[in-house]
Amino acid sequence: MMRLYADSSKCTGCRACLVACSLNLFKENNPKKAALVIEAHFPAPGTYKVRVCTQCGKCAEVCPTGAIKLNERGAYYVDMAECNLCEACVPECPEEVMFVRTELADTSWKCDLCGDCVSVCGTGVLWIAETETVVA
Amino acid sequence: MSPTIRPFGILRDYLQGEKEAHVSAGQTVRQALVSVGIPPEVVALVLVNDQPQEKDYLLEEGDQVKILAVVGGG
Amino acid sequence: MYGYGGQILRINLSNGQVTKEPTPPDVAREFVGGRGFGIYFLTKEVPPKADPLGEQNKLIISSGPFSGLLIPGAGKCDWTTKAPLTGGYASASMGGHFTAEMKYAGLDSIILEGISPKPVYLLIDDNKIELRDASHLWGKGSIAVEKMLKDQYGEEFQVAAIGPGGENCVSFAHINHDYGRQAGRGGVGAVMGAKKVKAIVLRGTQSISVADPEGYRKAGMELFKACKEAEMLKEWSSYGTTIVVSWCDEVGALPTRNFQAGSFEDGKNLYGPVMRQKIVITDKGCFGCPSPCGKYSRVQRYDTYVEGPEYETIGMIGSNLGLSSIEDVAHANYLCDEWGIDTISAGGVIAWAMECYEKGIFTKADTDGLELKFGNAEAVFKLIEKIAKKEGIGALLAEGVKRAAQKVGKGSEKWAIHVKGMEQSAYATHNATAMLLAYMTCDVGAHHNRAWAITYDLQVGRERVAPEKVARVIWLQHFRPMFDVLGGCRLQWVELGIDRNLYLPALEAITGVHRTWEDLELVGERIWNLARLYWMREIDGFDRSWDLPAPRFYEEPPASGATKGQITRFEDVQKLLDMYYEQRGWTPQGHPTPQTLERLGLQSFVN
Repeated sequence: MMRLYADSSKCTGCRACLVACSLNLFKENNPKKAALVIEAHFPAPGTYKVRVCTQCGKCAEVCPTGAIKLNERGAYYVDMAECNLCEACVPECPEEVMFVRTELADTSWKCDLCGDCVSVCGTGVLWIAETETVVA
Repeated sequence: MSPTIRPFGILRDYLQGEKEAHVSAGQTVRQALVSVGIPPEVVALVLVNDQPQEKDYLLEEGDQVKILAVVGGG
Repeated sequence: MYGYGGQILRINLSNGQVTKEPTPPDVAREFVGGRGFGIYFLTKEVPPKADPLGEQNKLIISSGPFSGLLIPGAGKCDWTTKAPLTGGYASASMGGHFTAEMKYAGLDSIILEGISPKPVYLLIDDNKIELRDASHLWGKGSIAVEKMLKDQYGEEFQVAAIGPGGENCVSFAHINHDYGRQAGRGGVGAVMGAKKVKAIVLRGTQSISVADPEGYRKAGMELFKACKEAEMLKEWSSYGTTIVVSWCDEVGALPTRNFQAGSFEDGKNLYGPVMRQKIVITDKGCFGCPSPCGKYSRVQRYDTYVEGPEYETIGMIGSNLGLSSIEDVAHANYLCDEWGIDTISAGGVIAWAMECYEKGIFTKADTDGLELKFGNAEAVFKLIEKIAKKEGIGALLAEGVKRAAQKVGKGSEKWAIHVKGMEQSAYATHNATAMLLAYMTCDVGAHHNRAWAITYDLQVGRERVAPEKVARVIWLQHFRPMFDVLGGCRLQWVELGIDRNLYLPALEAITGVHRTWEDLELVGERIWNLARLYWMREIDGFDRSWDLPAPRFYEEPPASGATKGQITRFEDVQKLLDMYYEQRGWTPQGHPTPQTLERLGLQSFVN
């Protein structure tokens, strides 16, 4: 299974990834509707933290309508027609990148691994690779 | 192997289309630039084996020198 | 209108009235956006001879058609006003994320009018627009205030704030944003302070519509691809503008001790790689930037965090004040940001004061006891605070170098390094005639960013005085500021060397209007000439004498460094101006001719 990875130490906070994301997910220029998050920690310690979807599937497990499905890339995506905005998925997400904001969209949304964020990042923060198997 | 100088951007014009120039070891970067026809004052940054160096750096065998022009400033 | 926010927001601070109007399509066609909108509204709406700090002046904040979109570096914001520093035109370009947020809130320009009876901050949350009490923020530093407001409103809000320097109307006060990006020059922060606006807090959650979504996405992706494939990307991003410090030192362009020389004997301590190794902790980018020039630093010795210093600050606060430690320069940069004053002008005016001290014109009685010698970092730190507070000698220096020198006299006007009252930024121009002309004729005063011509000097012969040099300066003056019109950044083109034609399909797909670079350069020329008319309108007797450089560059050859003994002859200075006016279609006094105004469609602005 593939997923998105992020090396936060390389992030410059430019948010090009967020625009590219919203453009792919919603056909909109609106970084508020992106499926990854950049936290800026300024003025101190002066670092960025990037949170991305690990495709762990916990959102899909709890979705009562089955709206979160696997796509051809093997990634979980939201079938927007089937989402009922119950928000059951949101607290389950360990990375806090499962979104319901009814003022912005009448569906939940998440990363579907389109890869556009990777294409626009100038400093190599983001990449897509096989999910590492973690031995407990 | 003799040191190489590899110019980027507009500095390429000075080498008439060649991608890099071979120069002799034992001279400074500044002298080597002059020897291949690149005026040292148009070079902003010198990287020797990807480390920034002064133009007075003394070249050794095998050094790979990248040079960057001053393009447009702030 | 595709690619635009679609609305102009007006805030009348005197009576608290908030109004919105549609962005006029003819203004968008003729002036495109950004600083084009700025000069248009300034000329049309601010009455002639208005007091820069009075009720009639306006602060005009504008985005452009690229702002907030998938275009590399689409985060530039223009702040236009009548300048407290010069009494003429000010247009300050600020990076960061503010302009993108304006567009998401549906705004092309925000126009601040009048004067608030008490300190306020402006809150814009999409369509909710309020003036809120700022008494608890007044007196605080601009970085501290940004932090407080971000903590209160959340990470999605963008903040632009002034420091005490702006509150006290220091003539070169700036506006600070994103913990280290400024609208720096001309005193835009003093205008905001005079209006009693401490900060603007802004969030927009709307999408920006474009004319051809598929074409736009493709063109935008092409631009990002070109940036990522640029050979210089890694090196440029490692050092940002500090990449040129060593080069300037080597060729005699690094301002040293108030521009008395162009090379600094301790310059090596200030070079980009040294700074990177000693203090830089994070690379910081503006909105949508694939090649971040922002270097965020931590100075352990002073326990301060600062974005920078970038080249201009290293030149003006470092070598120009004789400071040889990058930590000291970075700390002074932090103090300027927090207190809310422009590092370039601060460096210029402090250098002038140090020269006054070393020449015996100032004694400790004049300097509040400070040993104002070049190289005294502690004195620099104290002066920054004094200037922001207008305390003691700081009150004099807060006027800017031109007025300070006029007040002090005793020959000190000779080493007041400015054009039109704006302190010259960090390129020593004893022997670089195109760069000298660029400073002489820049539309806001002696600023570098309109035409950075010094490499051209090196390429074609630095002391040469020739029509092609003049033509180069004029072309740069139209082309480079176009990025400030479009709401984008020029550095991807300038520094990464990407093909400028890649921007055209993007602009067309965004706005639905086909434009060539020739069309855009004509817009640039229209803006340039309108700014010239503004100077003529505001300053009685505005003529070619206003385009002369500081005498140092034609009277005092440097005693040391790469330009030792070199100078530009005064007759060559005059010759440069003659050629410049002729090529521009201006009279020998530097006034656009009626034919030139007609060609540019500007006749209606002179009646």
